[in-house]
Amino acid sequence: MSLYDKFFPPRIITLDNGKRIEEKRSRAPLVIFILLALSAISVKVTGFRLSTIITRGNQFWVILGRMFPPDTAYIGEIWDPLFDTIKMSIIGSLIGALIAVPMAMIASSNIIKSRMVILISRLALSIARTLPTLVTALIATFIWGLGTTAGTVAISIFTFSYVGKLLYEQIETVGMGSFEAMEAMGCSRIRAFWCAIIPQVLPGYLSNSLYCFEGNVRYAAVLGYVGAGGIGIIINTNLGWRDYSRVGMILLVLFITVVVIEYLSFWLRSKLT
Amino acid sequence: MIKFDHVTKIYPNGVKGLDDVSLSINQGEFVGIIGLSGAGKSTLIRAINRMHNIQGGNLNVDGIDVEGLKGKELRKFRRNIGMIFQSFNLVTRTTVIRNVLTSFVPDLPFWRVLLGVYPYEAKIRALESLDKMGILEKAYARVDQLSGGQQQRVALSRTLAQNPKIILADEPVAALDPVTARAVMDDFSRINRDMNITVLINIHHVDLALEYVDRIIGIKAGRIVYDGPASGISNQNLEEIYGGDLAKVGNSAELAKKERA
Repeated sequence: MSLYDKFFPPRIITLDNGKRIEEKRSRAPLVIFILLALSAISVKVTGFRLSTIITRGNQFWVILGRMFPPDTAYIGEIWDPLFDTIKMSIIGSLIGALIAVPMAMIASSNIIKSRMVILISRLALSIARTLPTLVTALIATFIWGLGTTAGTVAISIFTFSYVGKLLYEQIETVGMGSFEAMEAMGCSRIRAFWCAIIPQVLPGYLSNSLYCFEGNVRYAAVLGYVGAGGIGIIINTNLGWRDYSRVGMILLVLFITVVVIEYLSFWLRSKLT
Repeated sequence: MIKFDHVTKIYPNGVKGLDDVSLSINQGEFVGIIGLSGAGKSTLIRAINRMHNIQGGNLNVDGIDVEGLKGKELRKFRRNIGMIFQSFNLVTRTTVIRNVLTSFVPDLPFWRVLLGVYPYEAKIRALESLDKMGILEKAYARVDQLSGGQQQRVALSRTLAQNPKIILADEPVAALDPVTARAVMDDFSRINRDMNITVLINIHHVDLALEYVDRIIGIKAGRIVYDGPASGISNQNLEEIYGGDLAKVGNSAELAKKERA
């Protein structure tokens, strides 16, 4: 009997034939109480004030208003950074998704028997996932210099951690029958994994990778802030000059690009299932 | 020849899967293993290709000490032993022929496996193997579109393509209807006779077992309680294998639960 049941004893239901069964009390009130308490603490800690949002909020509309009409003449200077952004997302997503496969394999407890290997590979995935992409990009600019290489590396690492985690969780839920059959006929575990597990997880893996790519286009747009190339650089510059009509044009182009890519990706993913 | 010499298998939770089992099976025999769920039928079969380890005694297959094998030797040893499962264990999301081709995977260069490019001869051998089981026309269908009986035939084709000396079958007909089950048993019988392949089969259907196999091994709580010709088995023997009274049946059910856990 748990502590909760001691304070809130279960209701005992007696049937007509004298059989009794205990109905445990709902945990929902406790969960709601904890959530409210945590919210209250976070408001206190962060110094959040609703009044600030209301009094300063109209500034948002002021800036947004200055973005109209967008400076259409500026579009000639947008193309290059925009394509840099897309290139970074595509190459980064591709590299990350590919290196996620072997990592996910050695992180799956149904494929690998050694607890140590699983622990280390999952730790590697967790660390890669904990690093904010912006921070990874910043570090990458120190190593590879300013430009798209740093951005590509940052996106690869994020994709690797995200797709890797989803993939190993998926691998752990597949039917192991065909894997067992391959092992019984004398296959090594790697070959059995490739022939028996991959066909089962492939549609999910491709779908997750595409979904991750969609998000990466948006991430890539802000990486320019830390000098990792792409459209973020010109957004940063123009915000600095308070040239809001140019910023408006950049955001408009970015919006259309993201919508098109998300639509394409959605269509591809619907073909996969 | 398969030779068990005082073999004992103990599961990590202390349950004895096999208890001092000694028996020998000659090349080309057709053996049915019967017993309650959890009595040790699967354990017996899976010890032969080392899908399960044993803790005591000696297990020898065609002059090879099975427990001494490791890594590459073990995989090479398994090439000679085919295995058939109750739930077929095929890769259902792909085509029939790709499943049969997996039996060549252990011997192919790794790049071929990665890219899924199989040599032409392998394809021919796979198709011939499907033809032997009478499902050649399904070669390019997806496995999940086939019926249970057809899937078990694909599994048999896969095993035959590997050219085994021994076939281990773990409840191969338990998931099939009576008519299909009979057809699959006919297949086993044919393979055993025509290709002189040793067939060991775990089976719940005593009537089917008695009808098809030459030799019956009855197992109860990890011990062999009957070993002899199928024709020589009596009702008394069956009662001993399956437990005469309810209390014993209950006990075995407990064992089955433990073994699974």
